[in-house]
Amino acid sequence: MIELSHLTKVYGDTAVVNDVNMEIEAGTITVIVGTSGSGKSTLLRMVNRLVEPTEGRVFLEGNDVSTMPPHELRRSIGYAIQNHGLFPHWTVARNIATVPMLLGWDRRKVDARVEELMELFQLDHAQFANRYPHELSGGQQQRVGVARAMAAKPALLLMDEPFGALDPIIRSKAQTDLKAIQRRTGTTILLVTHDMAEAVHLGDRIAVMDGGLLKQYAPAADILARPADAFVDDLIGSADRPFRYLTLGRVRAAVEPGVAEGAPLAADASLYEGLGELLWSGRDAAPVIDDAGAPLGRVSLVGIAERAARPK
Amino acid sequence: MTTLANAETSRAATSRIDRFGVVIAAFLIGALALPFATLRATRIASGTGLRLFDALPATTMVAVLAVLAATIGAALASRRPAVRLALGALALAALALAAGAAGAHLMPDDNPYARVAPASGFWVALFGAAMLVTDASVRLKLGPAGRIVALVITATLIVGLFASGAWSHLSIVAEYRNRADVFWRETINHIILAAGSLAAAIAVGLPLGILAYEIKAVRDPLINVLNVVQTIPSMALFGILIAPLGWIAMNVPGAHALGIRGIGMAPAFLALFLYSLLPMVANTVVGLNGVSRAVVDAARGMGLTGRQRLFQVEMPLALPVLLTGIRIALVQNIGLATVAALIGGGGFGVFLFQGLGQTATDLILLGALPPVALAFAAAVVLDAIIEISGRGKA
Amino acid sequence: MKRDKIRTGTVLRLLAFAVLLAFLLAPDRFAGLLTPLTNNGAPAIYNQGTLLDLTLSHLFTVGLSTVAAAIVAIGLAIFVTRPAGAEFLALSRAIVNIGQTFPPVAVLALSVPIMGFGEGPTRMALFLYGLLPIFENTLVGLSTLPPAVVETASAMGMTGRQRLLKVELPLAMPLIVEGIRLSTVIGLATATIGSTVAAKGLGEVIVAGLLSNNLAFIVQGGVITGVLAVLISDGFEALAHRMAKRRGASSEARQSDPDGQGSSA
Repeated sequence: MIELSHLTKVYGDTAVVNDVNMEIEAGTITVIVGTSGSGKSTLLRMVNRLVEPTEGRVFLEGNDVSTMPPHELRRSIGYAIQNHGLFPHWTVARNIATVPMLLGWDRRKVDARVEELMELFQLDHAQFANRYPHELSGGQQQRVGVARAMAAKPALLLMDEPFGALDPIIRSKAQTDLKAIQRRTGTTILLVTHDMAEAVHLGDRIAVMDGGLLKQYAPAADILARPADAFVDDLIGSADRPFRYLTLGRVRAAVEPGVAEGAPLAADASLYEGLGELLWSGRDAAPVIDDAGAPLGRVSLVGIAERAARPK
Repeated sequence: MTTLANAETSRAATSRIDRFGVVIAAFLIGALALPFATLRATRIASGTGLRLFDALPATTMVAVLAVLAATIGAALASRRPAVRLALGALALAALALAAGAAGAHLMPDDNPYARVAPASGFWVALFGAAMLVTDASVRLKLGPAGRIVALVITATLIVGLFASGAWSHLSIVAEYRNRADVFWRETINHIILAAGSLAAAIAVGLPLGILAYEIKAVRDPLINVLNVVQTIPSMALFGILIAPLGWIAMNVPGAHALGIRGIGMAPAFLALFLYSLLPMVANTVVGLNGVSRAVVDAARGMGLTGRQRLFQVEMPLALPVLLTGIRIALVQNIGLATVAALIGGGGFGVFLFQGLGQTATDLILLGALPPVALAFAAAVVLDAIIEISGRGKA
Repeated sequence: MKRDKIRTGTVLRLLAFAVLLAFLLAPDRFAGLLTPLTNNGAPAIYNQGTLLDLTLSHLFTVGLSTVAAAIVAIGLAIFVTRPAGAEFLALSRAIVNIGQTFPPVAVLALSVPIMGFGEGPTRMALFLYGLLPIFENTLVGLSTLPPAVVETASAMGMTGRQRLLKVELPLAMPLIVEGIRLSTVIGLATATIGSTVAAKGLGEVIVAGLLSNNLAFIVQGGVITGVLAVLISDGFEALAHRMAKRRGASSEARQSDPDGQGSSA
């Protein structure tokens, strides 16, 4: 649904984005990961024309975005950034209502949408609707920022380091929540980060950028298994690679017949969590149960280790 | 393809005419339509305006026109700041000389009471050229030393023009000649009022500011009171201070001998001192508060005593902000000292208010232009010092 | 603690306002207070026109000029912060910096040869000088907005005009109000001096006192102008403070500006 074609941006003598071609499937989360100065934010900002490309085109559902008036284009695309960019002089409710109001929705529809979103993002309407941004915690501000970006039900949501300002615990919850919300709404998300763990956690597909070039664009597992070059390899971190790889798999996939002692593992837990539990409790194996609590078999250290090895 | 691309570039080029240059050109051309000089039969008579073409001898006029035309050309055609600066400065010099030349040319031999003064055309052209120079110097990003050098050169040129007699036929110089002694006496008075009260305010304000920084309970009430003082109009404060000072002069032994009077310099000096306290105290507090917590903690961690911390770390780092306070107070004082003449405090205001009283424009200028120049020079010098003192402390 | 202090201040101000009003409406009742300041049976209360009239003229002159200055200055500041006016930005900053070194009284005096005597030169000087603080503060307000906020406004699909009216101006408003306060305070002071060029206003009372050596006139003129200026300035300050408070610490921090201009004239 989104196609980036030969996208290039030159500032002075440097091409900060250099001939990038990408196709992004609707309803998925695509994460662009890279170091600072890799051109990842510029690439993102060319999609909603906050930056105009020097060369190349962006197509949304087959339409060239350069032919649409910028403000109309942007009203159809959600946008959330690291420092949330909430309007400090407006209440939470008014902030969330920004784009619906710009689109001229009627009052009741706007109010209903604001309430719906606040519930979706676990912000108590009665408590928070009339507060000002500076009265919220960092995590709450960030949620309002994302809720605002999704207010007019955009098919596409652009996010630039949306969790960068949060502390690790809140960040991890925010990532999990975002993924759950995305699965419910089916919004296409294009997210920029410098954090490979976040990319692996969230991304259906990952695009690695360096020096303006798109180094690799593939599903997360492929990036981990077959990094295209030394840079991608570095970004993953060779010591972390097997563990990152395990975060992608579910315990369910490693279940073998048999029984084991001790507390059971949930089938939907990641292999990474399963490994941690086994190592910490000093067991070689643990029983596995499904959502309903029915036993499925067991998972063993050896079984997990096999799945952490480089795929053949 | 090529032709289309070319067409686009050339359209972009024509739509990019420098509109600032157009404004300057409009000023300079418009000035030619206005009277350049005024000739009056006496110092307070109404005069006849003469345009540049009628106010100057032919050769001088052609030279001045040539310079102005070149300046207009530079404003319209060149975007290079150095070129614009050079021609703007040349235009300023040409205008200054032309004003003097108009004085010599127009002054009739048979009427020693006649006066020649620059008129609106001169001032408009001067303003246009000054804007060109200002814009060019901003774009050239002159450093602090460069700005001071430019100020010194300008001041030297102005003094040189005075001394050379090039302006001796101009009305404002005639006003000056008639009261040269008084002029210098009031200049001294003005400087005593402005700088003396500032010195007193530094001596009192700095310790007060440190006190307010150290003791939070003092800060708000003190700043609030000084804020209120700052808000009171100068004439009102001068007036209000007359009563208590008059009472002190009459009732406190020795006060009168010290020069304390109800009217005159004492209430003006006191008022200016009070006005300067706010910038001094507030900027001391803001400056000290602005010193990075990490630096103060590090100093404490290395075992500096409170006193050592204050004088070796906090004060030096707060210096640019302290100097900004001095700049604000000095510029403000130079202006306010002009009002002191209303209560007999002396200063350039003596000429300004005399001029207003006699509707003598040139006398008004004699009283108004020196404080303007003085305040401007003080601002340039102090800004340069602030910039130098702030280097490496960002 | 803090709240108590604020309350004392408010009470003091209300009291000052009540006394000022009473004095302006019935000055003769206060004559007894001022008589000790007079000599040789001179009148204790200014008698060449009512104090109320003079106060209203004074306020009208200042109000008119400041409103005009605010409209022009805010308009210009908006212009130079848009792409279309960008080439004038550096110059306008320089002009404002230089202009503020000009003593207001000099601007007033220099207006006389152009405008003659009376209200004209006072209004012109007040207008010209009043432009500077409002322009400067609006410029600072519009050019120091948090970049994340301005960018999101565009990214949400606001047009340039919507961004200006819905986001930039409201966010810059506390600083703009502060600029208007400075202009008004300078205006009140300069208008007082305007009496020396025959503008109708409270300076008349002080000038009359100075000319006839009547301390009572000087003191009542001085006190009325002083109290008026303090009350009006406090009003603006409270307004700016309220606006800034609602939007949190970030914009309040911008309020304490060590380069702030002195405000007297």
